[in-house]
Amino acid sequence: MNALIMALDSIWEKKGRSFLTMLGIIIGVTAVLVLVALVAGYNADVTAYYEKLGVNKVEVEVTWYDPTRSTDLTDDLARYVNDDLGQLTQGVTPSHTLSATVRHGGESAEEVTVSLGGTQWDVCGNYTLDRGRGILDYDIENASPVCVIGSYLTQTFFPYSDPIGQTVTVNGHALTVVGTLYQKDGSQEDSMDNCLWTPYTLDRVLLGSAYVTRYTVKVDKSRDMDQVMTALERYFAQTVSDRLGEVELENGNAAMSESTSEMTSMSVVLGGVAAIALLVGGIGIMNIMLVTVTERTREIGIKKSIGAPKWEIVTQFLIEAAILSSLGGLAGIALGYLLAAVLGQAMYGVVSFPGALVTVGAFLFSAAIGILFGLYPAVKAAGLQPVDALRSE
Amino acid sequence: MSLIRLEQVYKIYNPGLESQVNALDGVDLTIDQGEFVAIIGTSGSGKSTMMNILGCLDVPTSGTYYLNGAAVSGMSGRELERIRSSQVGFIFQGYNLIPALNVWQNVALPLCYQRVGPKERRRRAMEALTQVGIADKAETRPSRLSGGQQQRVAIARAICTRSPILMADEPTGALDSRTGQQVLLLMRQLNAQGTTVILITHDNAIAAQADRVVRVKDGRVVDDSLWHREEARP
Repeated sequence: MNALIMALDSIWEKKGRSFLTMLGIIIGVTAVLVLVALVAGYNADVTAYYEKLGVNKVEVEVTWYDPTRSTDLTDDLARYVNDDLGQLTQGVTPSHTLSATVRHGGESAEEVTVSLGGTQWDVCGNYTLDRGRGILDYDIENASPVCVIGSYLTQTFFPYSDPIGQTVTVNGHALTVVGTLYQKDGSQEDSMDNCLWTPYTLDRVLLGSAYVTRYTVKVDKSRDMDQVMTALERYFAQTVSDRLGEVELENGNAAMSESTSEMTSMSVVLGGVAAIALLVGGIGIMNIMLVTVTERTREIGIKKSIGAPKWEIVTQFLIEAAILSSLGGLAGIALGYLLAAVLGQAMYGVVSFPGALVTVGAFLFSAAIGILFGLYPAVKAAGLQPVDALRSE
Repeated sequence: MSLIRLEQVYKIYNPGLESQVNALDGVDLTIDQGEFVAIIGTSGSGKSTMMNILGCLDVPTSGTYYLNGAAVSGMSGRELERIRSSQVGFIFQGYNLIPALNVWQNVALPLCYQRVGPKERRRRAMEALTQVGIADKAETRPSRLSGGQQQRVAIARAICTRSPILMADEPTGALDSRTGQQVLLLMRQLNAQGTTVILITHDNAIAAQADRVVRVKDGRVVDDSLWHREEARP
């Protein structure tokens, strides 16, 4: 109790020095927490992007050597995927896109991703129908001039009215809106919500040529990806002769795992940087503690000369070091969380905090360094003959 | 039985080196309970070393030191702590107050180490401050006091443990002669109440106020004379 009061007194007495001691800990802990939080934020950002984009997709591109000898595979592929691979897949759609300007009344939306899709385009693209209906077989067969619009277009053109039955123009071609999609990516101009879904049979109208050579197959579970890829390879080997064209299959999950592994190696590098920050912070603590005790050797001498037991002096320094280290650690945690929130919001729009394990670990590490290096010289000084301690100036 | 007895005490710095210094070179000394002794010598004579050893602030290289008949020389650090805490009160030339503590806290500090309760500590600190005449400065920081006042605080700190021995190393060295005289008077009063006082000084005039003067030169006791002891103890 006595030692506690003395420790508090002494901390308060030397506010500046106490703050400097804490600064090392604050910087160390803050650096670690912020770095860890930013890696986690990047992680969440990438994962969220791929989740919105939709996982478990096989992208197919057919290249015909001579377009005049091409075959329309769409119906046959849809039959194969939905019947033969029905257990493993959720759907298949043509997936040709173009970037177009869409207009309604006086408003216009630039760089809208217009997808020439089939009836399962929404499922394959990870979209959900909000109002109205999707594109149906009837629309495909008759090449109906209809479309389903993304939430950005809904908000831009029809903030206060019902979009169903209204007309929008895509590159000058009028399409009737039959449905709308739920927002999935923030409804900004550069988001995935700036999109429009229209029957692929409108390709001659919108593109001026028949151009259905790209498909997306949505697989139900990621563990079935390889099996579906193999089945599709076999299917295309039979349907597209080597002499007429070639088929390329791409596993959509590969791109994500690439990003993930990139992120993992980045975390290792940043983890190293954080460890160095903590170490430098630790050295700072060590230095200031050494200086503090050295300059207070005289005080230790005075106390010893008036009868202070060695353990009492050591206890006082221990309490001081513990208080400074924990205050510094707590301040570091507070600052770290604050910076993590601010930077995370600014960089990724996601606030992610470092995990409890990292927080506690960084705190304990710097506290341990503070206490160890605060205590070691104190123990040494307290072991001196009082006259030697008194002599130090 | 004498209170303090030194037998052939040596304190040797840098033994075996060219810079070897025999700060104490075979000292024999006996001091009885209730004496007022001045140890006098020039700078480097070994008088401070002698006080450090007498006050258990330092240990001799060889020889034996008996305090109350017990050999201090062989004691553990913990036992020495107990002696410093309960047997000896110190007054230093540089006061050696702790700047972070106010006056009464400084005075009460030795009582903390004797496990005296907080109320009793404060009471005894105020009592000691009253005795040295600066109870009104109890809440002040030492740095705001004059040298004479700081030395009074140091004396209060030395006496509040009611230690039987009071050791003073050049207690008036940093004070003007009038204040120095007051400090000496205070020590005389304490001696009259039964405290054994050992005063270290280089000043003959100050030493002359003690009952007994022990002259130290080159680490040896060269003169040990009783002066006007009778006059001092009416």
